[in-house]
Amino acid sequence: MMDEIQQAFSQVFFDPAIWLIVTGAAIYGIFLGAMPGLTATMGVALFVPITYWMEPVPALAAIVTMVACAIFAGDIPTTLMRVPGTPASAAYADDAYELAKRGQAQRALVVALWFSVCGGIFGGVLLMLVGHQLAAIATLFSVAEYFWLYLMGLSCAVIVGKEGVLRSAIGLLLGLFFSTVGLSAVFGEARFTFGHPELFQGINFIPAMIGLFGLSEVLRGVMSSDQVSATGVAQGSERGVFVSTLRTFFRRQGAWWRSSLLGTVIGALPGAGADMAAWVCVSVSKRFSRTPEEYGRGSSEAIADACSANSSSLAAAWVPALVFGIPGDSVTAIAIGVLYMKNLQPGPEIFEQQGALVYSLYFLFLLANLVMLPVGWLAIRASQQVLRVPRWILLPVVTLFCVVGSFAVNGSRFDVMLMLAFGLLGVLCERYRVSIGAMVLGLILGGPLEERFVQTLAGSQGNWTGFFDRPVALVLAILCVLIWGRVLWKTAVKPRGDGPVPDPPDSATL
Amino acid sequence: MPFSAFWRNGELWLLACMLLVAGALGCGRSESYPSQPITLLCPWSAGGGTDRVSRQVAAQLEGALGVPVNVINATGGSGVTGHTRGAQARNDGYTLTMVTVELNMLHWRGLTSVTYKDFHPLHLLNRDSAALFVRADSSIASLDQLRDEIAQSPGKLKASGTAFGGIWHVAMAGWLDQQGVDPTAATWISINGSGPSIQELNAGGVDFICCSLPEVDALLASGDVRCLGVMSDERVGGFEQVPTFKEQGHDWSIAGWRGLAAPIGIPADRLERLEAAIGEVAHSEELRDFMSQAGFNLSLEGSEQFAQTLSRQDLIFEKVLTGPAFTTIKAEQFGAMLFPLMILTLLVGLLAVLIWKSFVSQKSRRPEPLVWPKLFGVITICVFYWLVSETVGFLLGAILLIIAVGLMVSPREQRLGNMKLTVPFAFLFSVLVYQGFAIWLSVPLPRGWWGW
Repeated sequence: MMDEIQQAFSQVFFDPAIWLIVTGAAIYGIFLGAMPGLTATMGVALFVPITYWMEPVPALAAIVTMVACAIFAGDIPTTLMRVPGTPASAAYADDAYELAKRGQAQRALVVALWFSVCGGIFGGVLLMLVGHQLAAIATLFSVAEYFWLYLMGLSCAVIVGKEGVLRSAIGLLLGLFFSTVGLSAVFGEARFTFGHPELFQGINFIPAMIGLFGLSEVLRGVMSSDQVSATGVAQGSERGVFVSTLRTFFRRQGAWWRSSLLGTVIGALPGAGADMAAWVCVSVSKRFSRTPEEYGRGSSEAIADACSANSSSLAAAWVPALVFGIPGDSVTAIAIGVLYMKNLQPGPEIFEQQGALVYSLYFLFLLANLVMLPVGWLAIRASQQVLRVPRWILLPVVTLFCVVGSFAVNGSRFDVMLMLAFGLLGVLCERYRVSIGAMVLGLILGGPLEERFVQTLAGSQGNWTGFFDRPVALVLAILCVLIWGRVLWKTAVKPRGDGPVPDPPDSATL
Repeated sequence: MPFSAFWRNGELWLLACMLLVAGALGCGRSESYPSQPITLLCPWSAGGGTDRVSRQVAAQLEGALGVPVNVINATGGSGVTGHTRGAQARNDGYTLTMVTVELNMLHWRGLTSVTYKDFHPLHLLNRDSAALFVRADSSIASLDQLRDEIAQSPGKLKASGTAFGGIWHVAMAGWLDQQGVDPTAATWISINGSGPSIQELNAGGVDFICCSLPEVDALLASGDVRCLGVMSDERVGGFEQVPTFKEQGHDWSIAGWRGLAAPIGIPADRLERLEAAIGEVAHSEELRDFMSQAGFNLSLEGSEQFAQTLSRQDLIFEKVLTGPAFTTIKAEQFGAMLFPLMILTLLVGLLAVLIWKSFVSQKSRRPEPLVWPKLFGVITICVFYWLVSETVGFLLGAILLIIAVGLMVSPREQRLGNMKLTVPFAFLFSVLVYQGFAIWLSVPLPRGWWGW
C-alpha cells in the first residue's frame, strides 16, 4: 500500500505534464464557472472527447481541477453581478452581493476562494484516510431515507432565509410547485402544461435562477433613480483582505471542521451533491453563529461555511462512483465513462486493483486546490475591474449575460422566455420579501423530493408507514420533526432576549 | 406622464431602428453544404450514455464534415423535448438528432405526436439488450423461479430500473405478459435512471432491477449483483457468461437503441453528403474502440435497414404499450396530482397567514415604487432580441440589446456622451461573447446575417 501511495505521489506531483494540465484546466474551469449558464457538468462533457487520447491520470486531473475551479468561479458573477454562476452559489448569493455593495467584493471573493481551497483539501485528505468506509453510508440510503434527507435540505432553506420563516416557506413552496410543471418523471403524465409542448421539459432551474437573481437585479437597477454603480468601490488593501481572511479562518476553525465534514458526508451520498451541501451547512452555521441575524445580509461566515462544504463535497462525490459505479453527481457520471474508456472498472475492488490510481485521484484533489489558489486569486483581481465599469455599461452587459446564459444551458429559446418571466417574478418577490433563494432550492430539489415521496409510497403499497420502517429513515424523520418543531416553536413564541433583530420577520405589510 | 417622457426621451428612434431590422428579415443565402456548424440534439442529459455516444460521434463527424458539430442536451419530458425539437428543426441539414428507443414509445403513451415517420433515419449505432439483476444474497436463482414467485404472491416483489413506462419497465412487463403472468404482479417503483435504481437495489429497497448489462458492470464484476438473463437472441459480447432468456426457455427479446436521424425533407444532395460522412464515422475503428471500451454494444445499420427496424419495433411497442397489460398498469394507486395538491394546499394556507398577519400588524413598510415603463422597457428589449436573433444573428441582436439597455439607464443629459462609448463597446463585447460561447465553448449561438 505504501508503494502505491508513493507511486501515486510521484505520478501526480513529479510529472510536469500534470502540472501543466492542471493549470490549464484551472484557467478553463474558472472561465467556465464565471460564465452564467455554463455549469461544471457542461464543461466536463465538452472535454470528454479529448480525454480519449489521454492517459487516465492526466484525464482525471483535468476533470477534477476543472470542476473544483468552476464551482469556485461561480462565486465571481454571484458576488459582482448577483448572477449565480453555478447553482451551488445560490445559497449565499445574497451574502456575497451584499458585501460587494458595501465595497467588500474582494473580501467576499477571497473568503470564498480560501475556504473553497481548504474545504477541497479537507475532502481529499479525508478520502485518503477513510475513502471506502465512507462508501458504506450510501448503502444505508434507500428512497425513504432520501426523502427525509431532501426534506431536511429544504427545511434548511427556510431556516436560513433572512425573510423569516413564513416568507421563506412561501418562496420554497412556490419553487416546489414550479418543479411539478412539465412531464412528471414518475408518472409519465403531463402536469400544468396547458397543452404547450415546450412546457413538457418543465421549468429548468438554471434559467429560473438567472432570472430570479440576475435579471431581477437589472430590473431593479433600471428602476432605481440613483446613478451610483450597483456595486460599491473597493475598500482596503489586498494584503489586509488576505490577513483578515486568515484571521477569520483561524478564529473559526471549529466551524470550518464542521462544515467540511458535513459537506463530505453529504457529497458521499449519490444524488445529494454540492448544492445541498452548501445549503445545509449555511443553516447549521447560522444555528451556531453568534451573529445569526447577519445571515443573508452580508455574512462572511455564511460564505466561508458554504464554500468549505460545497468544495469538500466534490471529492466525496467520487466515492460512490468509484466503489459502486453509481455516479454521485453528473460530473462523476461522465468520469465513470472516462474510466471505462481506459479499461478501468469501478467497483469495490478498485482500491485493491487500482490502488495507485485511486491514490493519484486523491492527490489530484490536493494539487487542484493548491493550483486554484493562485489562479483563483488572479481571477479575483481581474474581476475587480467589473467594479469600475459604469452602470450604463454594466447593466446592459448583465442583461446580455442573462439572455445568453439562459440560452446556453440547453440551447432552448423557451428557456430565455422563462428567464424573463422569472426576472419579473424576482422583482415582485423582492418587493414582498418572499425568499428567492428558497424558491431556487425548491425548484432544484422539488423533482427528486416528489420522486422519493411517490417511490416510498409505491414501495409500501400506499401505506404511510413506509416512511418510518427502516432505522435510518426513522432517525432522519425524527430529526426533521425536531427541526420543524423548533422552527414552529420559535415563530409561535415571540423571540425574547435574542438580541437586536434589525428587520424582524413578518412585520411588513403586503 | 412617465409614458410620454419615455417616448420623448429618444427611445422612439431606437424603436424605429429595431423595427427596420425586424422588417428586413428573410435574407437568403446559398452556400455549399456544410458551411456552418452543425447541431446534434441529444434528448438526454450531459453525462449519460446517450450523451457520451453523441459527443464521440460529434467529435468524429467534425473530422468527416470539416465543420464544428455541437452537441446540445435538449433534455426533459422523458425524451419528449429532444425528439420533438429534433423533428421540428429546420430541414436544412444543420440539425441532427441522436434518436433513442423512446421515439418508438412516447407516441404510444400519448405523450407526443412525433413518431419515427417525422425523421429520416441516418444510421443505427448502438443496441443494448435488457437484462434482469438481483443482489448476490437474493434467494432467487433463476428466471423460472422469479416468474413463479411473482405469479404466486402478486405485489410482494418490487422492481425498478427506470421511470414508469420507460424502456426497461416495458421490457419487464412485456416479459411477464408473454409468460402469462399479470405484469402488475411485480410492483414497479418508478426511479428515474439506472444509477439510482442500482443504488436502490444495493440499499435493499427493491428485489430486482431491469436495465442493460454495461450499466451494472461494476457490481456484476465484483459479484455483488447477479444477472438472471439477458433479453437478446444471442449472448452479448463482453458478457459471454450471462445466459439469454431464449436459452432458459423464455422466448422474449427487447433492447434499447441509439441512432442518428435528421428531420424529413432535407435536400437529396445534402442527405447524400451526410449519410456518406456518418457511414464513414460509424464504420471507423475509432468508434468501434470507443463503443467497446465504454461498454456499449455497437450495432450498425444503414439508413434503409434502420428505417425497417424502426417500423418493425414500432409495431412491437404498440402491442405492449396499448395492450391490456400496460393499460391496466397505467391506473396508479395515487394520482399524479397528489404532490402538487399537497404543495398548493400548504401554499394557500401560508399565504392566508401572511395576509392575516400583515392585516393585523401595525407596522408597515412602503416598498420602492415600481417604474413600469422602465421595467417593461428592458423586458421588451430582451423579447425583441429573442424575436430577431434567429434571423439577424447573435452579433447584431446583442449589439442592439446593449445599446438599447445602455440608453435606457443613462440619464437624458448624459445620453449622447455615453453613447460614444457604448456603441464601440457593444461591438467589441458582442464579438467577445460570441467568441467565448460559440467558438471556445461550442455553445451554438444564432448565426444570422454576419455569420462568424
